[in-house]
Amino acid sequence: MVKILLVSDRQTKIEEYQSFFNKVAYELICTTNETHIIDLIKVDLPDIIIIDSETKSINLKSLNKKIKSLTDNVIIILLTASENIEKDLVKYANAIITDTMSQSIILSTININLRMKNSLDMLSNTNKDLADSLYRLNALYSTSSQFAGTLDKTKLLNYMIEGLDKTLSFSLTCTLSFCTEEKPVLILNSLYEISEELLTAIKLRTLLNYKSLFEGKTLPFEIDPKNLKVIKNIKYPASRFTFTLFQFDNMFAPISLGENFFGCIEIFKETQFSAEDATCFQTIAQQVSLPLKSATLYQEIIETNKKLERLERLKSEFISIVSHELRTPLTSIKNSLDILLSGRCGEITQAADKFLTMARRNVQRLSGIINDLLDLSKIEAGKMDFHFAPTNINTVIDYVKSTLSEVAKSKGLVLETETENNLPKINADAQRLEQVLTNLVSNAIKFTPENKKIKISSTLINSDDVHINENFKETTKLAKGNYIQVCVADEGIGIEEKDLLHVFDKFAQIENSLSRKAGGTGLGLPIAKQLLEAHQGTIWCDSELHKGSKFYFVIPLN
Amino acid sequence: MKKILIVDDEQDIVESLKFVLEASDYTCYCAYNGEDGLRMAKEIMPDLMILDVMMPKINGYKISRLLKYDNKYKNIPILMVTARSQEEDKLIGEETGVDEYITKPFDLDEVVKKVEEYLK
Repeated sequence: MVKILLVSDRQTKIEEYQSFFNKVAYELICTTNETHIIDLIKVDLPDIIIIDSETKSINLKSLNKKIKSLTDNVIIILLTASENIEKDLVKYANAIITDTMSQSIILSTININLRMKNSLDMLSNTNKDLADSLYRLNALYSTSSQFAGTLDKTKLLNYMIEGLDKTLSFSLTCTLSFCTEEKPVLILNSLYEISEELLTAIKLRTLLNYKSLFEGKTLPFEIDPKNLKVIKNIKYPASRFTFTLFQFDNMFAPISLGENFFGCIEIFKETQFSAEDATCFQTIAQQVSLPLKSATLYQEIIETNKKLERLERLKSEFISIVSHELRTPLTSIKNSLDILLSGRCGEITQAADKFLTMARRNVQRLSGIINDLLDLSKIEAGKMDFHFAPTNINTVIDYVKSTLSEVAKSKGLVLETETENNLPKINADAQRLEQVLTNLVSNAIKFTPENKKIKISSTLINSDDVHINENFKETTKLAKGNYIQVCVADEGIGIEEKDLLHVFDKFAQIENSLSRKAGGTGLGLPIAKQLLEAHQGTIWCDSELHKGSKFYFVIPLN
Repeated sequence: MKKILIVDDEQDIVESLKFVLEASDYTCYCAYNGEDGLRMAKEIMPDLMILDVMMPKINGYKISRLLKYDNKYKNIPILMVTARSQEEDKLIGEETGVDEYITKPFDLDEVVKKVEEYLK
């Protein structure tokens, strides 16, 4: 009902308006008592206040001021008897009616103002709703930003509850979490303290909610309410909730993503939740699931990595132990063969010599494999010691040439070098580079038929001029700068293109029956690769079947 | 005749070393664990010792240290036989006083050559 306050001490007017508003069923209150007026405005705001400018028993100007200071949400209509109205009073008025106006004009003036007031009310309500929504959106946004910033599941659940607090300002949330600790845990975020009895009831209620999610299916976790761990976060511990809590409005949602079930949450509030509140609640509960899933995956990756690291360590230890255990009996075998072959135990026949020599050659090979395995496991475990010093690569090349030229000669091969003079020194472990180069040259000797040539060359080269074989471009990235490049080129059997990429894989050549005949461990090239990588260098090769192979390695100058 | 003490818990290795060294006219004494090795070193005062690293009771490095810190024995050359295992690498951390390392599997002729060098 429309409520109108008339401030007037003209009895005729009061009576006139009373009968008039009675007809249209508007409630009319008439008073000139300022306290009464103020009380009315404070407690039961009228829709329209008609102020009679002829009123003498009250200071109208100060009354207007007071009304405006109390509320903006009221229409003031000024009633005048004469055309001559005080300016100060007009200032406060939304409309003016005069004694001479007909009733219908007065009514239409009042109604227009009422409609305007309603529209304004609606507008201000919409504004308020908009502001609410904006606040909620902001809160949701900041919550989802928080979600994106962590992979800690406990933090994620905390952010969820913070987000709910900001957007819904709840009395209590009961979060049953399956993902933050090894066992399920009930997290209570409550305004007030919760007694033991109430806690028992909350536990049972939460478990019923939880079971309702899996009706007819097996539960992901069986929970005994007696052993359920509870974490309580109480805002105002001085007050307590009573069982009336269960009469509060409440909402419930699972926290899950597809097959992954992380928990569920129930939220209580003393006042009613709106439809928007419900959407907001569901959104937050859903939003937290994705980072929880990521966190779960992340955790799994970490654990797998740890497992892999442990396996890798075990492998290294295993290799070390095995090689130790192999070396000792191997030593005895070798010693026995050496003694027999030395003739110290008496003459040996030619046939016996042949087989004893064969046995000794294979002992040597076995011991080579053990050494390579040990080297590789040491490098992979990062336990290989390197003695870096300024090294002249040509000295290394000369040394390798001098140690292997006899072997090459005995196979009818020519071993030559083509080194660039005055190459700058590189920071390297000369012994390890000798190991690399010896391996490459030995391979070349092994796979090159008689009367052919093997060439070792060295040169200074810029990364822009390095031509890496297409097969290795993907895996071999060179930083910009100057390098020393060494090449071992042979005219041997070559490598098929399909095998090229695998030459640096461990035991790669075991696939190849020819190389098995040639002897070797299949570890030489992977060791060379690792040793070079320890020098920030890299290795690759070019090869043409039946024509020969070129193995290149580069080591940076700085 | 020069005296050589061989200490290794691996009897076969001791046997082959003894064989070639005796063939080169050295007198060989053998111990099969660290405790005996240390005791015999003090009793016999050998001209040279061949020591294995990994042995029950007292390992080779410990024996080496005990002897090398003792003025009475510090001049005995010690050739250390090692299998280059991680465990042995860890033990080597401290100063051991070892004169020469021989990696398993070793060449008997080379061992004889080295012994000759030290006993020249």
